[in-house]
Amino acid sequence: MKKPLWIMQVIALFTLVFCLAGLGSAASIQQQLARESTLESIIRSGVIRVGMDTFLPWAMKSTSGEYIGFEIDVARRLAEDMGVKVEFVPTKWAGIIPALLTSKFDVIIGGMGITPQRALKVNFSIPYDYSGMSIVAHKEKAEGFSTIDDFNKPEVEIACKLGTSAAAATKKYLPEATVRLYDDEAQTYQELRNGKVHAVVASAPRPAFEAIKYSDSLFMPLKGTFTQEPIGFAIRKGDPDMLAFLNSWITNVNLEGWLKERHDYWFETRDWADLLE
Amino acid sequence: MKKKFSILDTIIIMAAMILVGYILYRLNHSLNYSWNWAIIPSYLLHYNEQTETWQSGLLLQGFFTTIRLSIWGTLLAALLGVMVGMMSISRRLFLRLSARTYVELIRNIPALVLVFIFYFFVSDQLIPLLHIDRLSRSLSGESRLLFSFFLSKPEMITQFLSGVITLGLFQGAYIAEIVRGGIQSIEKGQWEASAALGLTSWQQMRRVILPQAIKNMLPPLANEFINTIKYSSIVSVISIQELTFQGMQVMASTQVTIEVWITITAMYLVLCLFLSMFVNRLEYKLSQGRF
Repeated sequence: MKKPLWIMQVIALFTLVFCLAGLGSAASIQQQLARESTLESIIRSGVIRVGMDTFLPWAMKSTSGEYIGFEIDVARRLAEDMGVKVEFVPTKWAGIIPALLTSKFDVIIGGMGITPQRALKVNFSIPYDYSGMSIVAHKEKAEGFSTIDDFNKPEVEIACKLGTSAAAATKKYLPEATVRLYDDEAQTYQELRNGKVHAVVASAPRPAFEAIKYSDSLFMPLKGTFTQEPIGFAIRKGDPDMLAFLNSWITNVNLEGWLKERHDYWFETRDWADLLE
Repeated sequence: MKKKFSILDTIIIMAAMILVGYILYRLNHSLNYSWNWAIIPSYLLHYNEQTETWQSGLLLQGFFTTIRLSIWGTLLAALLGVMVGMMSISRRLFLRLSARTYVELIRNIPALVLVFIFYFFVSDQLIPLLHIDRLSRSLSGESRLLFSFFLSKPEMITQFLSGVITLGLFQGAYIAEIVRGGIQSIEKGQWEASAALGLTSWQQMRRVILPQAIKNMLPPLANEFINTIKYSSIVSVISIQELTFQGMQVMASTQVTIEVWITITAMYLVLCLFLSMFVNRLEYKLSQGRF
């Protein structure tokens, strides 16, 4: 049975039309991506909305009600280089990723450590800073502790803030220790000072600040930090343009030496402390 | 009315005082904490050297936001509550069922859970439809000031609205119950008598029933307003910058925790006590039959 010629022709024609349509739609998808990028909407509205949480010395509220801190400087400079205004959206840390995913703001600039678990949900830029976990311990309860293994025992209690990479690091490096989670940082240090827990694990430099402030009851059992973690901006998935822009920007200010200069000011000095008095 | 203390009263008062004293002693001596009260005033009032004016600090700003949030939340709740309260006594089954559903749903979900659900699911779909943030950003000068005074800073408006709507929805269920109870507290004879006079059902409601019912409703309604203020601290979890949230920001910035909590407590207490006294006077006036 030979098929009539016109059927073949119709099929050929349809195939051709579909292929052309595919080509056309590929081009329009590209345009659409660029058009729907957060980058575009930021430029259009003239405002970049930055999600963050108060975290010493990344972001703090000064007495005049202004935000100050390393993270704040970074966000302000980023906005300046984009030619837009910056708007800070203070958000509780435990809910900051859902808030980003539901478009409460455009980007998280909040000293967020890049971890594989988080990277499954959001896209991270290249690191613009590195931080690490340090440990501050109670003089009586943790007497003579000087290595990380000393803390890795079931009877040792460690306090951390909920949802931070400090909590994750504690579970990873001190799997045997008992972890107690608190909603905010201040509570963890208060428990430690009261001798309810052996130690607090948190991002440097705050544990060191605490040990200096309460030198009669607290001490730093380890020199420096016991983890190294990269810090990046977090944005929603499916936005290559925004990611590319952020990466270029970080590369640029990094080579300028500006990032290091800011980091040193906020982390190595205490010149800014009187802004909080 | 006896105004004299008996021996038992004296013993109880002494015991209470000793307990309070002991707690204060423990706070001061066994809590390893370096007190720093000096930091609090600068977060209440702050002298701006550039403009040479006094500005309200973070905590006061939060206090004002709490008041704004409570007022708007109560207004919305009153609107919802009256509507739903009326629905729940209507003759039509459908209206009664919907009203019941709403009230039971809200009353049987913890406020905190409701706030989260609302923030992540509802406010995403609702608020963007209004395009209010674009509108509020385009404000300038005087209108911006007015907007900030009555609502919130234009940039925080979406969160503020989520907070207001959440509070309104939550308190609306309680107010609906008060309205329903108030109307049902009027005896049946009033309905029958006004019907006998040939009034329509709307007239019966407006001219006979409601004027009497409102008297019964006012005290619990005023109490509900105080509850709204207290519940408003719950919305701090969705980062609305009211008193509790601002307090947490100050704590995270300065590491001065207990002093800030005590200050916040005092602020809430002053506000709610002031209102409580007002409610008491209102109840007294109503009971005297002057209105």
